[in-house]
Amino acid sequence: MMLSRLPFAWQCIVLGASLLIIAWISLFSWSAVQITPMDALHALFNMDNTSVPQHIVQDLRLPRTLIGILVGASLAAAGVVMQGLTQNPLAAPSVLGVNAGAALGMAAVSTIAPWFGLLGTSVAAIIGGGMTWTLVMVLGSAWKSGNDSSRLVLAGVAISALCAALTKASIIMAEDQASGVLTWLAGSLANARWNTFDHLWPISLFSLLGCMALSPTLNILQLGEENARNLGASLILTKLAGSFLVLLLVASAISSVGSIGFVGLLVPHMAKMLCGQDHRRFLPLSMLLGAMLVVLSDIISRSIIFPMETPAGAVLALIGAPFFIYLVRKRTL
Amino acid sequence: MSLSTHNVCVGYHGKTIVNQVSLTIPEGKMIALLGPNGCGKSTLLKAMARILTPIKGEVHWCGKNLHQMPSKGLAKQLALLPQTQPIPEGIKVKDLIAYGRSPYTGFWGRLTKDDHTIIDKVMQETGVTALAEQLVSELSGGQRQRVWLAMTLAQDTPYLLLDEPTTYMDLNHQVELMHLLRQLNLSGKTIVTVLHDINQAARYCDHLIVMKQGQINTQGTPEAVLTKDMLRTVFDLNAQIHRDPIANTPMCIVEDK
Repeated sequence: MMLSRLPFAWQCIVLGASLLIIAWISLFSWSAVQITPMDALHALFNMDNTSVPQHIVQDLRLPRTLIGILVGASLAAAGVVMQGLTQNPLAAPSVLGVNAGAALGMAAVSTIAPWFGLLGTSVAAIIGGGMTWTLVMVLGSAWKSGNDSSRLVLAGVAISALCAALTKASIIMAEDQASGVLTWLAGSLANARWNTFDHLWPISLFSLLGCMALSPTLNILQLGEENARNLGASLILTKLAGSFLVLLLVASAISSVGSIGFVGLLVPHMAKMLCGQDHRRFLPLSMLLGAMLVVLSDIISRSIIFPMETPAGAVLALIGAPFFIYLVRKRTL
Repeated sequence: MSLSTHNVCVGYHGKTIVNQVSLTIPEGKMIALLGPNGCGKSTLLKAMARILTPIKGEVHWCGKNLHQMPSKGLAKQLALLPQTQPIPEGIKVKDLIAYGRSPYTGFWGRLTKDDHTIIDKVMQETGVTALAEQLVSELSGGQRQRVWLAMTLAQDTPYLLLDEPTTYMDLNHQVELMHLLRQLNLSGKTIVTVLHDINQAARYCDHLIVMKQGQINTQGTPEAVLTKDMLRTVFDLNAQIHRDPIANTPMCIVEDK
């Protein structure tokens, strides 16, 4: 890849610029009401209040794109931190049961106690994700040193399956809520509005910065737990802080747009292919790539059966699965 | 004496391997930990390097409980080279060695000019300068061992704890390593190393500590420790003690069974 030969600063600039262009495209593309590229720009800088397209951009498209960016960056960063903490290249929120647990928490609250509203479901997602993550870590004995990496993944798969079954059961029991929960389970940005964004950005920003602060320690963890301890890293503190940040990132992202998989699993590997194993570098690149991937999937999800929408999560799975197989075949994992 | 253990019991999964060991590491010396497989020498070393927490007893550093001291500060005082190392994917030799400086670097891990000077120095000492740009995962076992040693040395600590550092190395690199350790020792470092070659230990070290079944069997100078009796009781070997014709240190020659 050409991009991998560029110096790190240029990679950031190229990816940052690409993200801006994709975000701009997502503001005007595939709309039932015709929006021109210039409308999108005008809506951002000097809004003409009488123009319907510009209102659509500002009220619907802009929050949707911004949420896509934050969700992508959050899920990618969560993947990086999980892979770093567990020293397992397959670790990701969707593999280790955090997605499924958060989904179960949300489904349970929205079917059993729908009057809690958005905040209630966010909290339920955090609690559900946290419980499954803890359970998987304990079952996979990830807290002990010298852990067996396949055990962790197996525990994650088993817990995910259990949560998925319970989620389905709770949907069947409360049928009137079912279609909302199903859309949400597939992961879609269609309902992303400014009030979602207002809930999302403080948590995302805090956790993303927290992950950056953790990256030098994640570097040392790559050398194995004995060496990390020997170099003065505090393993317990790092694991607790890292797990907490992952939970915040995943739960806030999932409660905003639903269960979006593959980003956390794939993007860290893409970023590593670009700039190597230094977390201080591939974490920010992962955030950029994750944001690009989610916004791009959202654009594609609108285009497939236009003017209907398909869930962005499904599009991501379509892109993600072949790339994942390619990674496994190349053994770059 | 900075490093000492007091009635220390250490083990894994509730099984005690090192049992009630009280030991003071003589400062400024080059010390070998010897003993048959499974006698607890590596386990004791790991407890002294705070990788393992004792079940009972305490390890002291400068009179205080080592396991309750801030880890980052200790990382500037003692460095451990573990016996088995992971093979990190995609990390270059020079980057790996640079991680040895992390106890000294600030929050973001940025290297100063002094850090680079030390990294260059340890790379020369361990003979890995030519490998700097290669990936650690592409090296041979012996080369990799030297790279890890370089990382440990980059930590620039007065105490060095090494767990079988000569494994995987061919003979000339083993000799080079022992000479390097001797030089580091003469320049003021205290070195504790687990060795499996008794003659190597007797030739290069000042002080031998022999362990058997989780306890210290005997310790002292090579002359005092390396005896027929000790070899029979600890290693179950019939051997003769001769003088090394070059270094004039004691060495053992094993008799036929």
